[in-house]
Amino acid sequence: MQKSLKTEFLGITITSPLVLPAGVMGMAFSGFNISIKNGAGIVTSKSLTLEPRIGHKCPVVAEFEGGILNCMGLCNPGIVDGLAEIDQFKKRSDIPVIVSVFATNTDDFLKLTKHVNKSQANFLELNLSCPNVFDEFGIPLAASQDEVHNIVKAVKQISKLPVIAKLSPNVYDIVSIAKAAESAEADALCMINTVGPGMLIDTKMIKPVLFNKFGGLSGPCIKPIALKLIYQTYSAVDIPIIGMGGVTYGEDAIEMLMAGAAVIGVGTAVHYRGIEVFNKINEEMLEFMEENNYQSLKEIPRLEKLNG
Amino acid sequence: MDKRYTLKIDRIVEETSDIKTFTFKHDLTAKPGQFIMLTDFEGGEKPFSISECSDEKFSITVKRIGEFTTRLFQKCIGDYVSIRGAYGSSFFISKNKVLLVGGGYAIPTFYFFAKVLLGAGADVTLINGARTKSEHVFADRFHELNIKVINTTDDGSFGEKGTAIEIAKKIISQEKFDFIYASGPEMMMKAMQNALQDQDRVQDQEQGLDYEFLFERYMKCAIGICGNCTMDPLGLRLCVEGPVLPKCKVEQLTEFGKYHRDASGKRHEF
Repeated sequence: MQKSLKTEFLGITITSPLVLPAGVMGMAFSGFNISIKNGAGIVTSKSLTLEPRIGHKCPVVAEFEGGILNCMGLCNPGIVDGLAEIDQFKKRSDIPVIVSVFATNTDDFLKLTKHVNKSQANFLELNLSCPNVFDEFGIPLAASQDEVHNIVKAVKQISKLPVIAKLSPNVYDIVSIAKAAESAEADALCMINTVGPGMLIDTKMIKPVLFNKFGGLSGPCIKPIALKLIYQTYSAVDIPIIGMGGVTYGEDAIEMLMAGAAVIGVGTAVHYRGIEVFNKINEEMLEFMEENNYQSLKEIPRLEKLNG
Repeated sequence: MDKRYTLKIDRIVEETSDIKTFTFKHDLTAKPGQFIMLTDFEGGEKPFSISECSDEKFSITVKRIGEFTTRLFQKCIGDYVSIRGAYGSSFFISKNKVLLVGGGYAIPTFYFFAKVLLGAGADVTLINGARTKSEHVFADRFHELNIKVINTTDDGSFGEKGTAIEIAKKIISQEKFDFIYASGPEMMMKAMQNALQDQDRVQDQEQGLDYEFLFERYMKCAIGICGNCTMDPLGLRLCVEGPVLPKCKVEQLTEFGKYHRDASGKRHEF
């Protein structure tokens, strides 16, 4: 029998479990085009806000041995133009699209949801966890069980689309946050957002490399943190998890599945392995399945859940 | 991993009142058409084409257009700036008869390229255009190379009178070139593409004249992640698959000469 990566996510069949996450390539409809052409099974928009945002001043990325720091600062063309890009993409493709939206309060999340209800998108992701706008908006909403619960609950009441809560790794008790989202009837969780934030310093000019000084970590160095948080969350909730954080090779994706992820986000690896990274990881996952005689993703075993 | 290098400015040449060339002692190992990202950590990091490159040093030629470049213009020899790269695609190195068409501050990248083409044995003709004499750059430097140069200004204040495209149209109708390269404002390159298509019709060539254009879009990460410089509908990341794009790609670009995206991703018409 032919090995297959076909799976289902929230009732929609996808040909690959690999997800283009928010913030990566998702500015233009053509960024989605090239990602699916290269093997992504689901694509996510930039986190859209009510008004356009140019984001932080550059440098907004800084590379180091273990990964990348970024502080894009939620640059996006605004909800209206952002949804227009998605609708343009959906004219030619039936690949599911997650619209990511960002706001700092329930009212604005509800306004965004009303826009999204009129779009061709398939899922609504609430970005509750951007770590790079602290100066502007303070501590991310995803740090508070109550905030997460209340926003998800309010959005669920009016959203026509399944709702995904994007969680932060930068909390002491991920399980209680995840449960707060689940009890508010979130349909799925997306985790993890970038870690930290952290910083790098230019030693000749004695300046932070990022103009924003701090930026979220992504890339291989965060994979162990992602796996641990996804595994803890998988053990405690019943809703599916989009697992991401440092996935670069097929084996990383398999680890995500074993930790409990339903589908897997691939972002920073686009830099390391090119936009072809989705097809490369798809092939590597199939090779793993071949070697271990698994016919489908469902047959790949998950870790035994943590007690309690 | 792409390393960042913090370098002292080794040399500054004032080309015009608004254009300066900055030279750095550093083995960049860049190819013609590629770019670097440069910052002073004071707010802003911008892409710059490379105007000269050897094993020991490289140069960028910068036009003062905004806050960032104004600050860069105040820097002196010995001041530090930080760079990363070289990034992006580079020009195809032809060994045959080629025409370079450039306008304004997009010209200096052809200085690096022309030297590489000469090294490969190409027969090089350059149209070096600008709006007016005070904006015309690198005429002396190109003059020293063993290439055919046609200097033009829109107002006739230096070289031939006319736009670079008007001169290019005349030349491609008189001489046969194996490859055409253009670098300049987007609408200039669009006009160049139209001129090439017209010429293909006149000559009734099936293949048509082959070309590469050097594009500009708003860049942020420069490592192919953020998607800000993506070009429709192919999803080409100009920082990775560009900035030099071949004819087969250029012909498919629906946004070419029509619109570009700003720092927020919002579209603006040219």
